[in-house]
Amino acid sequence: MLNNRNIKPVFFAIAWLLLAFTTANAQTPQINPQQRFEQANVLFSQSKYTEAARTYQQLLDEGHTQKALFFNAGNAWYKAGKTGQAIYSYEKALQLSPNDAAIKHNLAIANQKVNGFVEELPLVFFQQWWLQLQHLHKANGWAVGTVLLFWLLIAGILLNSFLPGWKNKFLRWGNYVIGTLCVLYLLMAIDTYLSSNNHESGIVMNSKIKAKTSPDENSRDAFEVGEGMKVHIVDATAEFCKIELADGKNGWISCAYIKRL
Amino acid sequence: MTQDEPFQIQFMLENGVNVASFTPPSFKDFEVLQGPSQMQGQSIFNGKRSEYIALSYLLQAKHVGNFTIAGAQARVNGNIVKSNPVLIEVRKGNAQQQQQQAAPPSAGIPSHRGQGGEDLPEGFLKKGEDINEKLKKNIFLKVDVDKTSIYEGEQLTATYKLYTRLPTNSSVTKVPAFKGFSAKDIELPNPPQATEERVNGIPYKVFTIRKTLLFPLQSGTLELDPVEVDNQVRLVKMVANKRGGANRNRDPFEDFFNDPAFKDPFFDDFFNRPEVEYQDVPYKIQSNPIKINVKPVPVDGRPISYNGAVGKFNMTAVLDKKKITTDDALTLKVTISGQGNVNLLNSPKIEVPTGFDRYDPKVTDDIEKNSNPLSGSRTFEYVLMPQEAGDHTIPAVEFSYFDPAANSFKTLRSEPFSVHIEQGKHIKQDKQDYGTGKNDLVKNETGILNWTRNHSWFIMSPWFYLLLLLPLLIAAGIIFYKRRKDYNTTNAAVLKHRYANKVALKRLELAARYLKEGKDKAFYEETSRAVWGYLSSKLKIPMADLSKQLVQDKLSARSINGSNTHELFNLIDNCEVALYAPGQDDRKMQGTYEKAVTIISNLEGALKN
Repeated sequence: MLNNRNIKPVFFAIAWLLLAFTTANAQTPQINPQQRFEQANVLFSQSKYTEAARTYQQLLDEGHTQKALFFNAGNAWYKAGKTGQAIYSYEKALQLSPNDAAIKHNLAIANQKVNGFVEELPLVFFQQWWLQLQHLHKANGWAVGTVLLFWLLIAGILLNSFLPGWKNKFLRWGNYVIGTLCVLYLLMAIDTYLSSNNHESGIVMNSKIKAKTSPDENSRDAFEVGEGMKVHIVDATAEFCKIELADGKNGWISCAYIKRL
Repeated sequence: MTQDEPFQIQFMLENGVNVASFTPPSFKDFEVLQGPSQMQGQSIFNGKRSEYIALSYLLQAKHVGNFTIAGAQARVNGNIVKSNPVLIEVRKGNAQQQQQQAAPPSAGIPSHRGQGGEDLPEGFLKKGEDINEKLKKNIFLKVDVDKTSIYEGEQLTATYKLYTRLPTNSSVTKVPAFKGFSAKDIELPNPPQATEERVNGIPYKVFTIRKTLLFPLQSGTLELDPVEVDNQVRLVKMVANKRGGANRNRDPFEDFFNDPAFKDPFFDDFFNRPEVEYQDVPYKIQSNPIKINVKPVPVDGRPISYNGAVGKFNMTAVLDKKKITTDDALTLKVTISGQGNVNLLNSPKIEVPTGFDRYDPKVTDDIEKNSNPLSGSRTFEYVLMPQEAGDHTIPAVEFSYFDPAANSFKTLRSEPFSVHIEQGKHIKQDKQDYGTGKNDLVKNETGILNWTRNHSWFIMSPWFYLLLLLPLLIAAGIIFYKRRKDYNTTNAAVLKHRYANKVALKRLELAARYLKEGKDKAFYEETSRAVWGYLSSKLKIPMADLSKQLVQDKLSARSINGSNTHELFNLIDNCEVALYAPGQDDRKMQGTYEKAVTIISNLEGALKN
């Protein structure tokens, strides 16, 4: 016990030292994220939108992925006049919770500032259901569920086949149900993983960009895209991305202008 | 003009559509020699197309004296248009001829028909004088600009002037396009009024062809295009010999002055004008192009609200109502007046708070005619539709301009307006759920968040697969264990079963040998052993415990009853009797053997089930 008490501070000191070394360049005070989040909220309420947005963005860059964080960052960027960043943040927040009315509302407001904004077609009812189903569990919920159900299934099969006392048709049907659910959970887990690692859409971050007809700076201009426009990336070369707008127009712009979602 | 000289009077009506009637003035002091002759045509001037109708009369004066020809009247589009009256002085026997022309005052295009002075001595071409030299000296064009280096948007006045000392009939053939400028022409008196100006001490008649206020729209070096004028210069030429027969009798003094005593050139000029000839010399002149250096408006200290106004301005901003309902509209009227590029003013940006729908402003101009520098006012009317009830403040309207005289930017600011808005009768259809306006953001989310870092994907971690594999392994283990246990129990018994049969058959074979040899005791012994041994291993009863009763119990437990059991016990009894009471015959021994074989194979079959 005594030994343990002595070791802990030493261990922490070493950990802090390591941390100090690794973050020596960043020079950011390592206060806990909740405090920084609240600081940013205060900055926002004082109308220091750009500073607030920077703080939120720092938290996001550190790898925190909270819906509220994306949402507040979106509000701050919008107020600071950075439409592209604002829409990017809102879209990210919407990915985390696709049925949040507040995010949708603010995104719609931000989209009003986008030049040549084309509204995407609303989802058909079964797409909506699918989206709701996808967000029934958190990102890893489906995978955990798969494991649990699989354990249950195996246990059920074993009971059914080896214990004469458990041999009844209810248990057999129960096993079928659990087996089906298990397969469904596995598919959903794979689907969630794939769809959140799908970076085929992005937000245009610069304004007044001429989309070209071919991946070449000297080719003819096809149309103009404004800051904050959501585009689908259909094809890409090393430098150029072929984008498609919601109204079906497509052209090539430099990938550097797009921030992938 | 002289009394006997015919002259033309022309009435021009420009851009006249629907000309209903035309009343020429009375020519009571004149004789109409010809006309009216009508002429129609169109011209494109500065990109503007205009049509004209011209009526001309050829007149000759009846008397000597001053006459006024009254203006003509025309009814155009229901309005009566009058042309200016023309004053004509008719003299006796003057050789000069002149064209008069009248145009309605509404004419947009000034017609530049120079009237040469009748009695300018330059109108005479002396002997040996070079015509070109004379024209060059006496007719030229000049462009006057008030500045040559200005700021973008600053006013520049350009005046194109024709200087002449000769009688000429001039028309402008090429007008400057003023590329890079916004041009506003100043209306000139029509017919053009000559002024006198001295250039190098020589008086010239000066006609202003065009006077334009220019506002450069871009910076850099801009060029004012030249103007081109076609002149028909009427020169009077001296003729040495007297051959002008037609003129000879016109002047009563002619004969007298024709006396050789007066025949010297000087005298000829002034008193004796019989031998003159008119010559119309065409002469085309062009002004020099002028370069204007336009500086961009300085960037330093440029206010945010600056959007291109240059000059000196005042601003008033008025909100028509202070208290309205959401059903009504507010009008914010911003008037900018002053001197400068009033005609080019952009609407000042108005920061309308949320809760108002704003529409594009209505622009009305009130520019003073022929003002130089250009002055007037431009009014912007913004219509604001309140969407939300409550007290709102419309921030102050800000307008900035660049004052080239002070070389600095000036900013005008109005007072902010406060409006009280009440809920109208038409309540908005789409109520927002958030209690915020349609264009307001939903407030930030606060509260304590679950601060987890970027989660890793469980599905991609090895643990996911290990955990899936684990129950499979456990299940496989259980199955394997069960199989093994079953093998140990069921399979061992099956083997012993088979073995039992084999042992029994071997014993019976041995018994068969004893039977042949006739060793009856050994035979019964072997047969009995075979049966007991078989029962012992088949029914899993140890040898020591074997008894008829136990066997019967075991068999009945396996539901083997009836003839089989009965025959089995008969056989055992037979063997026991034969053992203790020898002397059996061979036939009985043969029967016992066959019985034992049948019973064992029967039991084998029965126990298998």
